[in-house]
Formats: sequence, C-alpha cells, structure tokens
Amino acid sequence: MSFTLLIRSLLRRKVITALLLVQLALTLALIANSAVLAWQARQLANQPTGLTLSNLLRVPMKPTLPELRSQPVLGDLMARQLSAIRAVPGVVSASWMNQTPLLFGGMNGNIFVIDKQDTTNIGMVPYQLGSVSMRETLDLTLLQGRWLEETDVDTEVIVISEQLAKQLFADGDVLGQHTSAGRVIGVVSDMLTQRYADHQNYAIYLPWNMPSADYGYQLVVKTAPGQLDRVREQLPAVLKAVELEVDIGTLQSFAELHRTLFRSETGLATLLAVLSGLMLLVAMISAYSHALFHGVQQQKEIGIKRALGASRPRIMLEVLSESWLTTLTGASVGIVLALALQQQLAKVLSMPALPWSLLLVSLLLLLLCVSIATWYPARLATRVSPATATKTL
Amino acid sequence: MRNFSYYLRLSLHNIKRAPLPYALTLVILSIGLGVFFSNATLYYWMNRDPLPEQSHTLFFPRINAVEQACDSCLTPLRVLSYKDVQKLSNSAIPSAQAGMFQSGGYARLPNTQNGPTPVSIRVTQRDFFELFNAPFLHGQTWADNDARMELILHYNAALKFFGRTDVLGQQLLLDGELYTIVGVLDNWQMLPKLYDVNNGLAITPVEEIYLPWETAYNLGIKSNSTTQSRDSRNYNENFAVNGREGEFYQAQFWVKLDTPAQQDAYRQFMDNLVASEKEAGRHPRPNGNLLHNMLDIAEAFNERNRQLDAFAVVSVLFLLVCLFNASHLSLNRYMASQFEFSLRRALGASRLQLQGQLLTDVLVNGVLAFVLALLFAVLMLLLINQLLPATSALNNWQPGLILLMFGVALLASYLVTLYPAWRASYSPLNQQLKA
Amino acid sequence: MIHITQLNKVFRTELIETQALHNINLSVAEGEFVALTGPSGSGKSTLLNILGTLESYDSGDYQLDGQSVTGMTDSALSALRNEKIGFIFQSFNLIKDFSIYDNIELPLRYRGFSAAERKQRVEQALERVGLAGRRSYLPGQLSGGQQQRVAIARALAGSPRILLADEPTGNLDSLMARQVMELLEQLNREGCTILMVTHDPEQARRAGRHVQIVDGMLSDATVYQPLVAQAVNQ
Repeated sequence: MSFTLLIRSLLRRKVITALLLVQLALTLALIANSAVLAWQARQLANQPTGLTLSNLLRVPMKPTLPELRSQPVLGDLMARQLSAIRAVPGVVSASWMNQTPLLFGGMNGNIFVIDKQDTTNIGMVPYQLGSVSMRETLDLTLLQGRWLEETDVDTEVIVISEQLAKQLFADGDVLGQHTSAGRVIGVVSDMLTQRYADHQNYAIYLPWNMPSADYGYQLVVKTAPGQLDRVREQLPAVLKAVELEVDIGTLQSFAELHRTLFRSETGLATLLAVLSGLMLLVAMISAYSHALFHGVQQQKEIGIKRALGASRPRIMLEVLSESWLTTLTGASVGIVLALALQQQLAKVLSMPALPWSLLLVSLLLLLLCVSIATWYPARLATRVSPATATKTL
Repeated sequence: MRNFSYYLRLSLHNIKRAPLPYALTLVILSIGLGVFFSNATLYYWMNRDPLPEQSHTLFFPRINAVEQACDSCLTPLRVLSYKDVQKLSNSAIPSAQAGMFQSGGYARLPNTQNGPTPVSIRVTQRDFFELFNAPFLHGQTWADNDARMELILHYNAALKFFGRTDVLGQQLLLDGELYTIVGVLDNWQMLPKLYDVNNGLAITPVEEIYLPWETAYNLGIKSNSTTQSRDSRNYNENFAVNGREGEFYQAQFWVKLDTPAQQDAYRQFMDNLVASEKEAGRHPRPNGNLLHNMLDIAEAFNERNRQLDAFAVVSVLFLLVCLFNASHLSLNRYMASQFEFSLRRALGASRLQLQGQLLTDVLVNGVLAFVLALLFAVLMLLLINQLLPATSALNNWQPGLILLMFGVALLASYLVTLYPAWRASYSPLNQQLKA
Repeated sequence: MIHITQLNKVFRTELIETQALHNINLSVAEGEFVALTGPSGSGKSTLLNILGTLESYDSGDYQLDGQSVTGMTDSALSALRNEKIGFIFQSFNLIKDFSIYDNIELPLRYRGFSAAERKQRVEQALERVGLAGRRSYLPGQLSGGQQQRVAIARALAGSPRILLADEPTGNLDSLMARQVMELLEQLNREGCTILMVTHDPEQARRAGRHVQIVDGMLSDATVYQPLVAQAVNQ
C-alpha cells in the first residue's frame, strides 16, 4: 500500500494512533536509557581492580574488650592470629590491615609534596596500614624503589600507588621525595582502593603499627587457587582458638566485595532492564490487540481488496506496514523523548550520553517486537474470505 | 441498589463475553500500577516526615569552625567537634538540644558466662528523647548532661538481655564498663532516621543503647561512622582531653526551635558566636553558618537515594504508558460493543443509565486491577530489595498507604474507562444503527 | 472466455453435506452479456464466486481466458483476478475512507502499474462512467447510483476480460437502476463480456443470454439470439 494511503488510514483513527505513538515513544525512551545505564554498570564492574579477587579473603575483626584494642596488646594479638592463619593449609599469605581495598570507608587523609602544598594537595587518599607482608598478600607489583620492611615500622617512610605518584610528581623524581605523609621509598602498581576517594586508584602504604582497634581491623588472607572456600570454613575456629574475646565479622571473598561495590549501579540497571522488558511486553500486547481489533473492523475492506486482486502476502504486508509506520513514527518521537529522559536522569545520576547506534538498536528491537506481536493478527486478516466479506448483510 | 446489582451483573457478563481483551487490559493496568505502587512505597518511606508533629521545629546548626585557615572552604564539615557542640549549647533559645553520634560496642550481663553481644549505641545528651519524641516505657532521661555510668535501653535491647522491659536499676557490662539502667524506651522507631542522615544511616533502625555524651568522651568511645581529625593530636591516647580539646569531628547536633522568632534569634546567636570567635582568633575560615531544618537535611547532606529517584521518574513514565495502553485497549473493547450501546440507547436507556453502567465498570476494573497490582507490587518490591539491598527496610504497607493506592487504582481505572466510554456513549445514534 | 465443465461444489458442516453446485457446464463467449438468475439459495452466488475465483470448487474444471484455474495457488489466483476480472457488487463495496480516485486506483496498484499509467487509466475510467468531476469525493458523498458507477469504473480500469456483476442494481431505486443498466449495456456494446446475477426478469430479458440455476443445477439457457447476434456484429 502506498505511503500516503497508509498515513491517511492512520489519520482516520487519530486518538488511537496518538495513544499508540505516545506509548511507543515512551517505550523506546526507556529502553534506550536503561540500556545505556546497564552498559555503564557493566563498564564499572568490568574495570580492572589490580587484585586477584578469587584468591583473597577478608576477615573483619574487633576485640570485644577495650584492653585488647590498644597497643602493645593489640600487636601481639594480631601476630598470634596471623601465625595461626598462616599454619592453615591452603593459605599462601596473610596480613593485617586497617582497611580493605574495594570497601568504602576507613582511614583517609590528605597528602601533598612538602613546600608545594598549594599545587599538590590531594584531599582524600586512603592511608593503608598493614603488615609488611601486605604486598605479597595483595600481589602488588613493585615499580620503583623498594617495599616496606620490618625495620621501617613506625618510621616516616611511605610507598605510594602509581596513580598517586603520577598525580603528585607528574614525570619528576618520586623516590626520596618528602610528602606530608612521609618520604617516598617506593611505587607499587595500582589497585582499586576506595571508589569514592579522590581517585579510586590512590593509595599510601605506611609501615605503622595499628594505633588502636577502636574501629576494628581486617585480616586479609591470600589462598592457593581453589582453596578459598576450604580456608574460609576453617578460619573462624582457628581464630576463636587464638582469642575468644574478638568478634569475628562475616568472612567475604574479594569477589563478593567487588560485586557489592557496584551493586547500586548494577541493581538499578537490572531493575530498569526488567522494566524495559515489561514495557516491551506492554507494547507487544498493545500492538497485538490493536492489529487484531483493527483486523476485525476492517474485515470488509480486506475482503474487497482480496476480491480486487490483492494476494495474501500483500494484505499481510499492508497490516504489518501499518504497524511499522506507527512504530517508526512513535520511535522517532521516542528518540527525542529518550534524549530528554537522559537529561532528566543525568540530573540525579552520573550517566553518559546516548550513542546514536544504541537508539538505532532500540528502534530495531521495538520494530522486531511489534512485528512479532502483529504477526498473528496479520495472518488472521489474510484469512478473511473475500466472498463472505463482500456480501451484503 | 437494585440498579447497581444489575449493572454489576452486566459488567461481569461483558467481561465473560470477551475475556481475552479484558484480561489484557487488566494485565497492562495492573503491571503499570504494580510498578508504580512498589516504587511509591519505597519513595514514601524514604521521603516521609517521621515526626510530623515537630519536624518543622528541629534544626541542625553548622558552623565553619575548623581552625585551619582556608579562604575557599565555605561549607562547614558534615560533622561537629566537641567544642562546636559546647559552643552551640551555650544558648538558652532552643527548648531542647542534644549533641550525638552513633557508636558500637559489646554488651553482656555481669556475673554470667555469656559471651559479648554486639550492640548499636547512640551517644547523646538528655534532651535527645524529647527532640525526637522517643517515648519512655520505664524510667526517664538523665537528670543533666554530666558524665554518669547510666544507660537507657531500647525496648528490643531490654528484651534481648533481660527477657523483660522493667529492668530499671539492673546493670549491664558494655565494653568492659559497668552501667546502671535508668530508663527503657518503648518499642520506638523513626523511619527515615533523619537525625543521622549525614552518615547515610537514614534507613537503619534506631539504636539499642543510649549512653551519656560526657561519659563517652571520658571513656574514649568514638563514633563508628564518620570521624575527621584536623590536627596532629593522637586520638588513640587520652581521648578524655584530646577528644574534647582537639579538632576531632564526629557529632550531630540538633536543636528544637519552636517559633520563627526563636529560629531568627538562633541564627542571630550563631552569627554572634562566630563573630566573637573570630575576634578571639579561633574562627579563621569564612563565616559559613547553616541552619538546616530536619525535612531538608537529606538534600543538605546530598544523601538522597539517587537510584530510587531515577526509578521514580521511570516508574511514573511507565504508569503513563500503561494507562495510555489500557485506555487504548479498552477503547477497542468499547468500540466493539458500540453497536450494543447504540441499540440500548435506541431502546430508551438514558445517557445517565449508561453512565451508571460505566461507573460500575470502573469500580469492577478498579478493584480487580488493585488486587492484581498489589500482587505485582509485592513481586516488584522483592526484586527491588534484592537488587538494591539498601531499600529492604522500606517495604512496609500501612493501612493509609494501602487506601491511597486503592484510590490511585480507582482513578486509573476511571481514566482508562472514561474516554472510551465517552466515545461509545456519545457517538451519534443513527450512524451506529445504520452501519 | 469462460469454460466450465462438470463443476461440483459441496458445503460440508459436521452434520450435513449440501451439494451447492451439481455438474455445472457453462461457456461464455467473448462479448456476451449473460444474465444468471435463480431463487435464493439456488447456488447462483456460489457460482459467481467460483467464476470470480473467490471460492474454490471440489471437482470439474474452470478455464478462464483459456487458462485452467484448477490447482492455482492463492497468489496466482489473486493476480489472475486482478488482471482479468472486474467485480461489481450489489453493495458497491467501495472503501469508504478512500476518495473516488483512490478507490479506482487500488486494483491498478496491485497490478504494479506505474503512477502515470494508473493516473491515465483512472481518468479514462472516470470519464467512461461520467464522474470525472467527482474524483476527490468520498463514496459517502455520492448517491447510490453514482457509487455503483464508481464501482464499475474500478472494475473497468484494469481492462478486465470479463465483468462479474452481482445484482448491481439491487440497492438502487428504479431510475438509478436504469442508468446503471444502460451503462452496462453500453459497455457490452463496446465489447465488454459481462456476467450478471439478477432476479429482475426484465433485466434478465435485456441481457444477451439468460441462464437459470435451480438447486445447484443449471437449466437450459434461454438464448435471445438476435441480441447476441447484434452484439457480435458490433
């Protein structure tokens, strides 16, 4: 059927067509925006962490009595716990830390190059305290200088992450430089420390003893590949045997921590995807019932057309192309709407712009779903008997 | 009434006659309403006023009192220091005021072998319970704001440790210190917990144990949420002095200002305070006084749940789509029975009678859609809680909320039926019968 | 032009079989004007539908313009119908939302004619039925007789080999009916083959040949030789 006739036929049913258009447009807008949010969540979750997630285990600890929370009792307690853990088969390395990479919260502070506070100050950088074995436990690669040693403990030296070194010193010398947090003796590879710090790969490693355990402390355990679950089962009993007056929190693998890190983004994306699915379903029901009802209304017209020589595929094409035209028109309005919705959402969420390719894919998806939904009613329309339909009542 | 039952029967008959189109309309309407209800539930709990009787009188003052000069630091910190609280407390204008922070510890009964139980603690002052209308079941708040080894328990904590609530005078070991219980709160909750929004604790339950402010500073009990130190003191040692004198920020401070005059007076007080501090050389940063009302506090601390906001936008759009759709389907349905409509009008049914029939349709649709939508909303809420665990405390339905949702369902059903029915009942008579 | 041999059509329901057409033999030569009459339920509509390839038959053969219709696919039948048959229905069967022009043009679109050819043919057909000035009217804006003339124009526009008319004047008053009949007779004089179902004996008499169908069987045709001869001679 010609384009103009098609349009005329749509214009005849202004209200119904307008309703269809509005909902197709909204559907497209929602699909496109949830797709871009899902894509963004995936990007976030797939970015490298610099950590071997599947081999690392976090044990949150807090002494239940104040006398166990301060030095030197605390240092002794942690040493006894660590040696008990290291004796467990399957454990490769274990360290205490004041905070766990990947997790929000912990000790953050500012850092600047001495005498250059104005130009180099960074407000929020994780201060990572821990055993000297921390580098081995976390598999940090040494890029410059040396790592912390037992003899450094409680001295004013620090190791910093590559990203932080770049920010503080650009391309200049790093080793031996004095900062507000101490003298830099080494640079290690980046890991995902704290998502909401000034940069998620910033870290300062300090050879300090844990000053107190008022906020608890963490034991981080690296296991041999595949041994994590076995080790996780044994640890609570092993740690209880060392000291009863310590509250052992929930043991979590780093893989689990990593999943929770982006949970609000992935959660929202999944939610919107579910909603988009529902919306497509609604659009399909609508297209289906519209075509079906319309087909019944137009039985006579279809019968006349069949009598005048329109073949079944031709009738099918007519019904489908009416659907397609509506979908395409609705979808073009939808593209505008999608961009508007993106602007609204970007006010409350950080969200990238909509790529045109995505809009096109959403449009094709919508077209496909509508075609599937229109298929059966269109087939029914072709079954109209021209002999009956052209008869007078 | 006779008419109504006749309309009702006819309504059901019409449904039975064409069950598929009807079912599709209903499904679409209830999916839309269900998604909307689930979101509205979360949104309601997230944004409701937990203290409608006095939220408008509760204020959170902030002063820019950090003692390091910084001309570009215009906004005060999110948390206050002991000194800030002390200075702000030196005003007689508020009818109640309390500094506070959340902590955690381990409690056990004295003279037993039971292990320690982790508990949530709110360190605060005597006016706390008046500020937030926390009702006492037994005993009362502390006599003054001095340090004392006295605890107030929440109903749940009393049951947890003693199995009963009347435990005044009983003792409890908390982190190795022995306290006497002087009060037990009734089973009280505040959702959202607006007094601790700046630590993102708005949808956590209220604390189990309440501990005097000065006692906490004496014993070195610190906040377990946000703390900031802005000087080089060692806060792990001698906290009783360092914590009080140093720049250690961890507290919220709330005041009750009953009238606009009091609020103005308090602002004036804050200005005067800052001016005199500046004179004394203790306020090097720019004046950044803020006085947030409790209802603006989530926005002020940028602690709104953005995911939920985004979902709200989308679910309203979704409801719109479903309404459009359902009305489209229902238009089809009514158009199909248009002939019958015209015939009945030709047989003498007045428009009023037909409208009675239509309103009955609206009611039937509304009730069915409401029930289905509730089912769907439960499923959606389970899914949302699974995906965004932060929302799991927000899925309660109160009778008022349910009633409101029923109203929305009826309204939706009315909108969906109105236009199609209008089309069906007002189309020219003869045109229909002739065709 | 039309050649039907031993044609049978049975309607089956769960309970009964009805023999709608029984061993029908019928030939229509080029340029003939055949009137088909019969009482209600005699099978004349079924026969017309079969002739128009709108309905299938159970046995026998039907040759249209030298081509056997038996066993043709639906698409081939549609094309055949479009090219060789022009329909004129009792209820006009115009598409009410299309203009006169669009209605006439519709079958030409199915044929795949170019826009220019379509335009030329529509104008010609409109000219022939005397409605050239009404091309942008909607069917509802015309009288019944005018509507039927539009339907005739639509049937003519594709230059069919035969016009099948199903009680073309059934819905018209006598004046309009006469106009339509005169138009059909004129078309026949111009060489158009017409098969018309009617129950008006007067109209049947005016046709070149009168065929009667009763209980699914074709009775001997009453042939008005002079008229046929006249038609052929022209």
